Amino acid sequence: MAAFVPYTYFQCPCSDSSTLAQSSGSNSPSSAHPDPDDGGIDDDSDRAFDPRAPRSNYSLYPLEYLLYCEDCHQIRCPRCVAEEIVTYYCPNCLFEVPSSNLKSEGNRCTRSCFQCPICIGPLAVTSIETKPDPNLLAAPDSASHSGPYALTCSYCNWTSTEVGIKFEKPNSIHAQLAKLRNGGTSRLTAKERKERRKDPAYTSQRAAAGSERESSDWQEDLDLETQFANLKLFYQSQLADPNSADHGLSSLGDLGFSSPSSLSRIMSIYTGGSLHDKKAKSRVGAMREALESDEGLQLADLDESAAISRLRQEGYDGTASTEQLLEQPPNLGEEHLHGRARFTAELRPIPYLLRTKRSKRCPVCRHIISKPEAKMQTTRFRIRLVAGSYIPSIAIRPLSLSGAGGSFSSSSTTTVPGAPLEPLKPAHFLLTFKNPIFETVKVTLGTPARTPGRFASKVTVLCPVFEIGANTDVWDEALKDSSGSDRDGRRRRGKGDEGGGGGSGGGGLTNQIEVGKIWERGRNWVSIVVEVMPASLHLREDEGDLPLREEEDVLEIPMFVRVEWEADVGGDEVGSAAHGRDSKEAREKRELAYWCVLGLGKIRRS
Amino acid sequence: MTSYCRPAILSPKVQQGESKQSFPHCIKQPCSFPKIPQGRLLKSQRKITMSSKRHSIVPPVSQSGPKPPVQFSSSITISDSALLTGTNLIAISSESVIHPRAKLDSLAGRINIGRRCVVHERSVVGAVGTSGRITEAAVTLGDYVTVEVGASIEAGDTVIGDGTTVGVGAKVGAGAVIGKHCTLTPHTEIAAGEVVPDFTVVYSNGLRRPDRRGIAELKNKGQIRQIDVLRRMIPSNPAKFD
Amino acid sequence: MSRRPPRGEYIETDTGNKVARKATLVGTQNIMLGGKTVIQPEVMIRGDLIRSIQSSSSSASGAAPNNTAVSIGRYCFLSRGCCLRPPGRLYKGAFTYMPLRMGDHVFVGPGSVVQAASIGSHVHIGARVAVGEFAIIKDYVRVLDGTVIPPNMVIPSFSIVAGQPARLIGEVPEGGHEAFELRDLYKTVGNNPQPAPS
Repeated sequence: MAAFVPYTYFQCPCSDSSTLAQSSGSNSPSSAHPDPDDGGIDDDSDRAFDPRAPRSNYSLYPLEYLLYCEDCHQIRCPRCVAEEIVTYYCPNCLFEVPSSNLKSEGNRCTRSCFQCPICIGPLAVTSIETKPDPNLLAAPDSASHSGPYALTCSYCNWTSTEVGIKFEKPNSIHAQLAKLRNGGTSRLTAKERKERRKDPAYTSQRAAAGSERESSDWQEDLDLETQFANLKLFYQSQLADPNSADHGLSSLGDLGFSSPSSLSRIMSIYTGGSLHDKKAKSRVGAMREALESDEGLQLADLDESAAISRLRQEGYDGTASTEQLLEQPPNLGEEHLHGRARFTAELRPIPYLLRTKRSKRCPVCRHIISKPEAKMQTTRFRIRLVAGSYIPSIAIRPLSLSGAGGSFSSSSTTTVPGAPLEPLKPAHFLLTFKNPIFETVKVTLGTPARTPGRFASKVTVLCPVFEIGANTDVWDEALKDSSGSDRDGRRRRGKGDEGGGGGSGGGGLTNQIEVGKIWERGRNWVSIVVEVMPASLHLREDEGDLPLREEEDVLEIPMFVRVEWEADVGGDEVGSAAHGRDSKEAREKRELAYWCVLGLGKIRRS
Repeated sequence: MTSYCRPAILSPKVQQGESKQSFPHCIKQPCSFPKIPQGRLLKSQRKITMSSKRHSIVPPVSQSGPKPPVQFSSSITISDSALLTGTNLIAISSESVIHPRAKLDSLAGRINIGRRCVVHERSVVGAVGTSGRITEAAVTLGDYVTVEVGASIEAGDTVIGDGTTVGVGAKVGAGAVIGKHCTLTPHTEIAAGEVVPDFTVVYSNGLRRPDRRGIAELKNKGQIRQIDVLRRMIPSNPAKFD
Repeated sequence: MSRRPPRGEYIETDTGNKVARKATLVGTQNIMLGGKTVIQPEVMIRGDLIRSIQSSSSSASGAAPNNTAVSIGRYCFLSRGCCLRPPGRLYKGAFTYMPLRMGDHVFVGPGSVVQAASIGSHVHIGARVAVGEFAIIKDYVRVLDGTVIPPNMVIPSFSIVAGQPARLIGEVPEGGHEAFELRDLYKTVGNNPQPAPS
């Protein structure tokens, strides 16, 4: 089992519909001027948050995933922000794709970037006709750069020649592939189809085939794109035909599927309104359906004997997995939907899906809270309001008992990290809160005395109210140093001193666990101790206890954090307090409150 | 060139003495090495080379175990920091390349390396596996075999066929027989005694598929070119292992 | 730092590189370190595998324009047992190695083998990762443990990849950029290691 790494997840307020409604209704003023009697926060604290509730899965995030809206003064998560695409680019060739191309070409790279249909590794264009004479080793490169090319996977060694696809040119593979069917035969264009029909050899062949089966059943194999084009043409002609209104069934009005107006409405969704015709709307009537392949009719081929016999031959290994099928792009060159690839030997190269750079908006006030530079190459952001620069981070470290009587050595690193917690034996954890903002903040913590869930562990936060210094620069810290160390008396600087001191330094470095006392304090951070009494995971099977669920042995504490600080009235930016220091009278109280979950460790199973 | 067993343990101290002075203090450039253009690779960065008289920092490795008898073709390239250990014969055929820090261990039997093989650094050919049994031929590599970085081939009648590539960090168990022109992708593990047919690609944690590229010849040609280059780059010192 | 013991585990250079004595660097004259880079014990860097096409044309003069085989930026961290080696391929019918370039703040986990063509800045490569030949990894990329990156793969910025072969499994969140900084990690190793800040 992998070692357990303690974690902290923060809850985004979006999961709580009441919070979101409240902040959206009253907007920023109410959160900027918090009223202690305001019910909003109290409501939250009344009801302990259960990290194991199914809903919590969707609202808990590590701090780095969260954003912060400066106007609403609220945490925003990836689930609630509104995203807007800034740039489309291919993840393989890193070319930006203009959004105009996207509409016409689709959301895949149309250059030569493909993924392997077998293993999804990248495919490389390789020349295949390299058979230089072994005697001509001196001039090997003369022949190697000509002649057909194939896509080859450098990981699983799949090559497009396995599905019979070769390319004439090494570039614009996408366009070449679109014209190729598996096996290397090229797709017929509509023009070629027409010409083929005129060909006497083809007609005789068709007649022969037709006589074998029922003559009316016989039809031409259309690929998807042609079928769609034929159908579209057919329905368009139906719509244009004024006689269609004469047919019966007009009583059904616009509701029937066969009515031109509902069809034109549906078609306009897919074809961008070109079919939408005012006249058609007024006309009521039914249309006949397509009857021929020219009109887009394709009968389902229900004869699967070929596929079955192939399955017998190739076995399970020859079939494509669900994942592989899902990765396959819709192949317009296929005959029809029933011919969807079933075997690995039919899978085609996958053009790379484009990736995007996205900006993010606050769902409530619509302000942009994250905006990357549009250029694909740059990694800079124009706006990046991350929660980590507004709310204190929480780091968890186990604290080990080194002596009796509640005396602890601060060399907590000696505990094996990730070791399971002993049930019913008190364990201590050090929570280090680090303040990212340039103001001193007051933190109030609240935890339920017992963790929710089947196995209730006891939790005691030894110091639930404390202040954290501002995130000033190091110079300020040096000035404040003397007073700070006097007040807390527990300041400990770098561990380098400690290592050298050995036992002698022990006295000064030993902290006492005292209720209401901060364990350690630094420039912009404070460590406090949490005592937990892990529950026993003993199950009484005879009393009908259900077996241990997944992750149920993890000791998770819900913790309500309330941060209060004073900020400039005018300053929108909480962070920029540099100019605000001299105008102390114009300050206002701000507060932010949220739930978070501390995953402390796994409880040893009995 | 043939030599016979002469069990001698290299003194690590002697090597250590060498390496002590071998480590150059990285010198603030640019004057001493005018041939390296400053800031060419990454602008605005001062480039420092780790260089002085010695061209390598190769800390000594403890040559534990006996020195094996070897049978080298005269055309092989073997770095003098390759590690050969064991009690049985290690035979390397013509034009094969053994990179620095590759380890060939013949403790559990004879090691045969075919022609034009490339054994990369940190790979172990003839690792004594869990079975620990001693066989006539511990590991046999065919011709044109590539053993990539950190791969390990356990001893015990293990055979790697011609033209096969054993990927980075792959493990081949004792007694496994890998066919010809196979590809074991990085981190592949072949269990002891498994048989992999010719032209098989083992990928994604053990999936298998046939290699239908049909470029075995081409690949061999590439190998020849690679060996040409490596021969110039790796200072060969077969005499050290005599 | 000047009072360091005569023979620590690391050699600390003027530009702040910390190179373990037990690291294997072959062809040091072709390895460029940007400074403040940590090379842990048992790391191997193959600086001897230089471009051969270029040098064969001008090897007579001995002053090839650029022989750098491996170039590493600032604040990189090469963990124990990892291996950097330039990628090699057939180019116009001849075999040549190409330089491996690495930006700043690149972490390479223990036991990983890197044969990329280029790695950007702020890249985290986990433990036991195999980066295939000529892979290109852009900035702010996280490669999880045990990943196999196939040859020639391009990984764009802000990707999280994992698997064999590697596939995109997520994006680096906006708030995760600072986690790639290796300045603090740099201080925790060397002959006078500082403790990690809490």
